[in-house]
Amino acid sequence: MRSAKAIFIRQATDLFKNRLVMVQYIIFPVVAFIFTEMVAKADESIPDYMFVSMFAAIFAGMTLVATTAGVIAEDRENKSLRFLIMAGVKPHEYLLGIGGVILAASFLVSLAFALMGGFSAANFARFLTIMMLSSTASILLGASIGMLVRNQQAATAIGMPVAMILGFGPMLAMFNTTVEKIFSFFYTQQLNVVANDFTVDLTKPITIVLVNIAFLLVLFTVAYRKKGLSA
Amino acid sequence: MIQMTNVIKRFGSQTVLTDVSFTAHTSQIFGLLGPSGAGKTTIINILTNQLQADGGSHTIDAAPFETGLMLDEDGLYVRLSCLENLNLFADIYGLPRSRSKEVLESVGLQDAAKKAVSALSRGMRQRLALARAIINEPKVLFLDEPTSGLDPTTARGIHKLINGLRERGSTIFLTTHNMDEAVKLCDHVALLHKGVIVEQGVPKEICERHNAIKTVPDLEAVFFKLTGAELE
Ligand SMILES: Nc1ncnc2c1ncn2[C@@H]1O[C@H](COP(=O)(O)OP(=O)(O)OP(=O)(O)O)[C@@H](O)[C@H]1O
Ligand SMILES: [Mg+2]
Repeated sequence: MRSAKAIFIRQATDLFKNRLVMVQYIIFPVVAFIFTEMVAKADESIPDYMFVSMFAAIFAGMTLVATTAGVIAEDRENKSLRFLIMAGVKPHEYLLGIGGVILAASFLVSLAFALMGGFSAANFARFLTIMMLSSTASILLGASIGMLVRNQQAATAIGMPVAMILGFGPMLAMFNTTVEKIFSFFYTQQLNVVANDFTVDLTKPITIVLVNIAFLLVLFTVAYRKKGLSA
Repeated sequence: MIQMTNVIKRFGSQTVLTDVSFTAHTSQIFGLLGPSGAGKTTIINILTNQLQADGGSHTIDAAPFETGLMLDEDGLYVRLSCLENLNLFADIYGLPRSRSKEVLESVGLQDAAKKAVSALSRGMRQRLALARAIINEPKVLFLDEPTSGLDPTTARGIHKLINGLRERGSTIFLTTHNMDEAVKLCDHVALLHKGVIVEQGVPKEICERHNAIKTVPDLEAVFFKLTGAELE
């Protein structure tokens, strides 16, 4: 656990210094804030939290998958991971440290979204719960991509389209019922549903998200067994 | 102690190590001398279990946390400062963070403590990599061409540091294609050519054996005599 904590501190420090990654964490809450203040609050027909929910789903799907994949691929590619392993760091400690930072960052961003949405206490909790579950799914997916790809460039090439499908899928689903049917099996679509309608019963969405997590856990295990953290 | 016995390594159809055997004794500086492509890095990778050999055996009398490693690919975190890079490893080893400052000073980088690695010169970066390798006062230290591409003053500083570590009981395994470095620094050397150890022993004795002492012991001449190849 000492090593996981050390990696956590290192990754948190690096996150603040990595502007390209940092911007991905800031841009969606900022854009959501602007749209909420300028469009949603001005237009009576749009619920105040609409853009919060929309951009939160994009953030959870896109930013988290892309950055998790990118961090792991970078550490593998520049061989820094090799020195950690040589120093006795266990792969799961490394993944725990990295995943922990990204989950914590996601929690802070989700909190910002939730405050912006002006939710009631119960909805606030609902929103954070579904955000954290979705974040877990995204981190597992991102980590799997980070382990499977050859290098950082490939992580971007593969991670970005996947992240975009997950992030923007729910938006496309609004315009087409077939797309909506397909995407309803994806956790980002369920996140979108829950975050947009506080009357929806949580049983089905949470179950689908948990099934997604289970499936991604299998993918993660396969990636880990197959490629591990080899450079 | 580091020991390799009859190690064989192939990459596809290419055999890069043939029957490699040697022993590096405790508190010794063991030098592996050979030109580019001889198989030096491959030997370090096998000894540190980053690569699987196709035959033979090897042992190190130190646990992973008691070893230090410096490779040509330094694996430093470029956005982090020198101190932050070292603090990570101090944390991993459970050492006080004051130890980071201590090693940073020992490689002469105290003034660059807050500098990002991306802003360091090549020599500074190499010294930082060395600092990271010795932060845990390793029992066994692997150095892959620790002074290649460095100016003589910096290289001498590193030699002094390596000597100091040996005096405190570390076993040091280093590779080089600089025969001067091998003669001055190493207690024991092995000459590697195309994956075969063609000679090994105390540098001065090897030179005597091959009549290569004119004014100073000349390992380069020995190597040339044995293989017909140049070291550099
Ligand atoms: N992963 C690999 N796949 C295939 N061949 C390899 C691999 N790694 C090394 N080799 C080959 O093995 C031989 C020895 O390489 P090695 O890196 O050990 O040499 P070296 O003595 O360290 O050279 P240098 O002084 O240039 O670092 C070379 O012919 C190299 O091409
Ligand atoms: Mg080499």
